[in-house]
Amino acid sequence: RTPTLDGPLSESANTRRESGRFRPRRPPPSRRSSSRLPEPAWSARPVLSDAQSADPELLDAFAAPIVDRRETARLVRELAAVRPLPGLRHVKRVRPCGDRGKPHPLEILVCLLSDVPDVEDRGAATLSSLLPCESFDASGLGQPFLAKVPASPPLTRPQYERASAHWPTSFHEDKQVTSALKGQLFTSAQKAKMQEYMAAAVRAAEDGRGRGMDAVGAVMVDPDADRIVATAHDLRHGSHPLHHAVMVCIDLVARGQGGGAYCYERHPACGFAGPGIKGEQRYICTGYDLYVTREPCVMCAMALLHSRIGRVFYGSASADGAFGTKYKIHTHKDLNHRFEVFKGVLQQVCSDLNPETTS
Amino acid sequence: LEEVPRGGHDLTKNEFAHPSSEEIQSWMAEAFGMAKDALENGEVPVGCLMVYEKEVLGKGRNEVNETKNATRHAEIVALDEVLEWCRARQQDPKAVCARTVLYVTVEPCIMCAAALRLLNIPLVVYGCRNERFGGCGSVLDVASDDLPHTGTSFQYISGHRADEAVEMLKTFYKQENPNAASQRPGRSGHGRAVPGSSCSCSFLVSSYDPGVSCVYRVCDLTLMADAGV
Ligand SMILES: [Zn+2]
Ligand SMILES: [Zn+2]
Repeated sequence: RTPTLDGPLSESANTRRESGRFRPRRPPPSRRSSSRLPEPAWSARPVLSDAQSADPELLDAFAAPIVDRRETARLVRELAAVRPLPGLRHVKRVRPCGDRGKPHPLEILVCLLSDVPDVEDRGAATLSSLLPCESFDASGLGQPFLAKVPASPPLTRPQYERASAHWPTSFHEDKQVTSALKGQLFTSAQKAKMQEYMAAAVRAAEDGRGRGMDAVGAVMVDPDADRIVATAHDLRHGSHPLHHAVMVCIDLVARGQGGGAYCYERHPACGFAGPGIKGEQRYICTGYDLYVTREPCVMCAMALLHSRIGRVFYGSASADGAFGTKYKIHTHKDLNHRFEVFKGVLQQVCSDLNPETTS
Repeated sequence: LEEVPRGGHDLTKNEFAHPSSEEIQSWMAEAFGMAKDALENGEVPVGCLMVYEKEVLGKGRNEVNETKNATRHAEIVALDEVLEWCRARQQDPKAVCARTVLYVTVEPCIMCAAALRLLNIPLVVYGCRNERFGGCGSVLDVASDDLPHTGTSFQYISGHRADEAVEMLKTFYKQENPNAASQRPGRSGHGRAVPGSSCSCSFLVSSYDPGVSCVYRVCDLTLMADAGV
């Protein structure tokens, strides 16, 4: 038995299901201001994990100027032996002195503060208090000073830039993440497609608003076939308090695959496109892209994870949003499905839909 | 056994009468009975019921497979029955839900925990933890987190007969191995995962992709898309 608020799905429901099939409509453009006016500039920015977006954690350390440059190679070698820096392979041992007025062009990392727990007065630390004087020849080193080094390797270019401001750091750049952060991941042709899909979600939101619903719209897209497979708007004030646009969209995808739990016949802007290429066996939302005008709440975000969504694009953030604002469901280390989320598609148009953002 | 309610705000605020420990015992016994029935019918052994003033308004079982909708968890199905009950009796769902307790043998997932918040359910009593998806303390604590636009926080009592709940899941996964499943084609089970099809433990695994082991790691099997059964 499949319970639905419009009554159990029966034979007659099957015919209704047919009538619920989504037909692409081309309404007169006059009503469709959002797709006609030139759109304000937008860029899709990736919602990265905390590890990728956090400020670098810094460790206190001692450094010293190299007063005799000819000792540099020996100092590097011998410091590596007496004060190795395990776990800090990303940190460069020697840096050029930033201050051109200083007589010594190079500075070397001596040790971490945690390596020398006995040093009490940090400001007045001497080389002999930092290094084992019996086994280490400190000639060529000047008076030590406090410095900060990044505790972990930077994952993104902004993190690299922030970390390097403290101490030179190596960086294995993920070019895709870098261009995504600059808003350059997508070609203009791809951006045009993304705009088209988000505009369809905006139209659904406007349709919903016209029927007294919250102005939130969502479309599920098959990126391989380049087509919309389901369109939905929020129905929490219509059929069911849990029928957020995303939940409706997921159920409409299920209907398109011969399943589904609810009937939306009273909401003509909510529909599905039916099966695509013959023989194609799609499985829940695997490989699909979702475009939604507003950042999903935690219920909807987890529903997308359960549905094995491919990627999510949203317009504007929401106060309890679960793709960046309150949680990052798509990057959670304990959850078994990770996926990419981008925000900012048609951002202004989308945020204008909901002047006060909730869930 | 952990009978101290966790999470959520002070229940006295919304004049909700906390069930006595005898009531909790007896409703959980009923939920475990449902889970046992499910096990005997070859279904995922999870029992779930929504109780409003000593009356069961909703019972749920996982309907992911038949609806091809991965959000049709037992809790969501049971909430639908509560809403249907309200509609049929012209009761305000908000007022009813604010006095309805969920008794469930396994911790609700993150999605279901959020749904329970959105409907203002005040209390959840559950059996074993859901290490993979749990939204009431295991993976996230959606029940207690500060989410002012996502309904109301709720309390939960965890660990009620947890060992028994896990034991039933273990039994289920043991009997539903690929070889046994091929001899019992009528059963919907773990081993019946075929390419592009679902598996009845999807409530727990919620996935149809190959190589994912079951949620409690009680089962040595993984969902083998290429198992050929
Ligand atoms: Zn939502
Ligand atoms: Zn759930």
